[in-house]
Amino acid sequence: MTTKEYIELLFKSKGITVPMNLVTKFQEFVDDTSNIESVKIILENQMGLLKNWKIKNRIVDITNQQIIIPNALMGDSYNAKIDTEKFNLKDLIISDIEGLTDTGLKFNTASLVIEGIPILSGDFKLKLLYRLQDEAEDSVLNEKIIPLLVMVDPKTLWKNLPSNKDDIYWKEDNVSVSDKLGTKTIVVSSKRGRSHQNVGSFRDDDFSFKHFDSNGWSIVCVSDGAGSYSLSRKGSQIACNAVIEYFEANLNTENQTNFELKISEYFKSKDEVLKKEIDGLTAQNLYKAVLYAHNKIKENADAMFKSNPVLFNNTKLKDPIDYYHSTLVFTLYKKYDLGYVLLTFSVGDCPVAVMNKEKTETKMLNWIDVGEFGGGTRFVTQPEIFHSTQNPMVSRFSLNIVDDFSYLFLMSDGIYDPKFEVEANLEKNEKWIEFLADLEGKNEDNSKIDFNSENKEIANQLSTWMDFWSKGNHDDRTLAVIF
Amino acid sequence: MRRLPVYFLLDTSGSMYGTSIVALNNSLSEMIGTLRQDPQAIESVWISIITFDITAKEIIPLSSLDSFQLPEITCPRSGPTHTGEALSLLHSKVISDIKKGSATEKGDWKPLLFLFTDGSPSDKKLYRDITPQIKALNFGIIVGCAAGALSDDSMLKEICDHVVHLDTADASTLKQFFKWVSETIDHGNKSMGTGEKVGIPPPPTDINLVI
Repeated sequence: MTTKEYIELLFKSKGITVPMNLVTKFQEFVDDTSNIESVKIILENQMGLLKNWKIKNRIVDITNQQIIIPNALMGDSYNAKIDTEKFNLKDLIISDIEGLTDTGLKFNTASLVIEGIPILSGDFKLKLLYRLQDEAEDSVLNEKIIPLLVMVDPKTLWKNLPSNKDDIYWKEDNVSVSDKLGTKTIVVSSKRGRSHQNVGSFRDDDFSFKHFDSNGWSIVCVSDGAGSYSLSRKGSQIACNAVIEYFEANLNTENQTNFELKISEYFKSKDEVLKKEIDGLTAQNLYKAVLYAHNKIKENADAMFKSNPVLFNNTKLKDPIDYYHSTLVFTLYKKYDLGYVLLTFSVGDCPVAVMNKEKTETKMLNWIDVGEFGGGTRFVTQPEIFHSTQNPMVSRFSLNIVDDFSYLFLMSDGIYDPKFEVEANLEKNEKWIEFLADLEGKNEDNSKIDFNSENKEIANQLSTWMDFWSKGNHDDRTLAVIF
Repeated sequence: MRRLPVYFLLDTSGSMYGTSIVALNNSLSEMIGTLRQDPQAIESVWISIITFDITAKEIIPLSSLDSFQLPEITCPRSGPTHTGEALSLLHSKVISDIKKGSATEKGDWKPLLFLFTDGSPSDKKLYRDITPQIKALNFGIIVGCAAGALSDDSMLKEICDHVVHLDTADASTLKQFFKWVSETIDHGNKSMGTGEKVGIPPPPTDINLVI
């Protein structure tokens, strides 16, 4: 803008007009050096005011803008760039970040990266110090707060509180054993999950096994007491023991002899009609054992309710047995001249599988009750499983005849969830081969189990292996391997 | 790994303006801090926050506990309470967020819903229309929290399994409430029978369970 233009505008805004007879005088006025200087200063000041207003505005915008940098993990290397392009901060000259003292992190002013290994956890309010490109180099620096969250590594937060030994239903936190089981060897471990260790609660899982010398049958049971039910640790224990008790008393009856005869006959004839008949007998025999277990738990629950009613304080539960909700799976096996017979029952989500001698095939011996949502399963303590039309009781029994097997696995969901994750994987032999390799040492911790019947350390080895880390999987773990 | 999705629907209508919204921010942030000290929660809990006033906004999309930063929740000086709209937004989010178990995918734990309001819905028709659809989503639990004298317990009862009433939305009451929420969340990831609801711990003294 020229001096003349400015003065004309000024006069106009003040309602002054220059009459024709004073045009020459006006030109002299415009050309006056001191007036030219005045206009120049005014224009410069105006520009300055506008610029300062823009700067103020921009600073307010920046203060209100949310700048989110990734959260850090204590002890884990961290690297976050203040990306001026991404955050639309290209007009900033960043000089430093305050608030990182003692955190283990530092700010690299050249690369604009916060880096290092955090040694403190918490919510930090970092101060980004900057000036805008339009600001004078010596102007006071502006501050922008950037929140930084340094999380504690959850691994270090888990506590291991002992369970209360004086509790009426106390049981050992961790049990690992091995034994001869008929012609095979069993190693089994049941350990309290980290979620229980963390709050000092009990192991809800349980197991049992037995070989009956008199008739050659062996049995292995696994049961998982449901986390939401306060006395389920006892439910799982009774379930496992009751099944053994039942077969101790009932494997030598006349029925059983008939069953054995039919099996021997089937080995020779491979007659499908006969197989159907044996299937039926299996269901009948095993059904009684399951019912026996259910009734045993019910008896215990009713008795406890009478003697100790304060334990039954959940208004949502109708029957004492509901406090004992537990899954149950068991497999009976026996060696015949021509192969092995395996009889399985299952309610709940504990997989049972048998791997053939050549390790080329692994067969699931049960189907598992899993709902649409996590934790939704079924229990041996629910009377409705005995007469469900949706999942008929008979579908819960299975009879399998194999030449021989290399491994028979029974496990609770504490093992299945981290190692197989989804049901579909249980059907894949390669997943079982991977699982076996994991057991034999192919894992982060180099925990190795030597599956040798002479191995005296095998129970300890399995117990160590059971401690594997798996994010989010901290349920009780029970695994039985028969080989 | 199973996720435990936890949805918060928070009333940010005009009546929350002032000390109430400050108290809400503080106690929410404290609750997140508490959950972040709990290894079980860090490894399983996922949080989503939807606020509602004249509109409903998802201010935190479903995120793992260790991955988000809580923004400051603000509210206008006045204006209606569109609870129905918030539930409608929630419905679409839950449909797209939640993983149901199948043979090839690990299902989430049943999601939990906490609905906090200090008024009654301004959009009652939408609220009532959406209620059956929300119930059909199979939440592990729906807890309603009515704060202050103006809140409407009976409307909340229509949708919630449990309703608690806070006499005021002040700092100490809200703090107690959110502490109780974190204890309830703790109950969310345990095995239960199909179709069962998650249990709630007994609420603290300043929080009245509406029967």
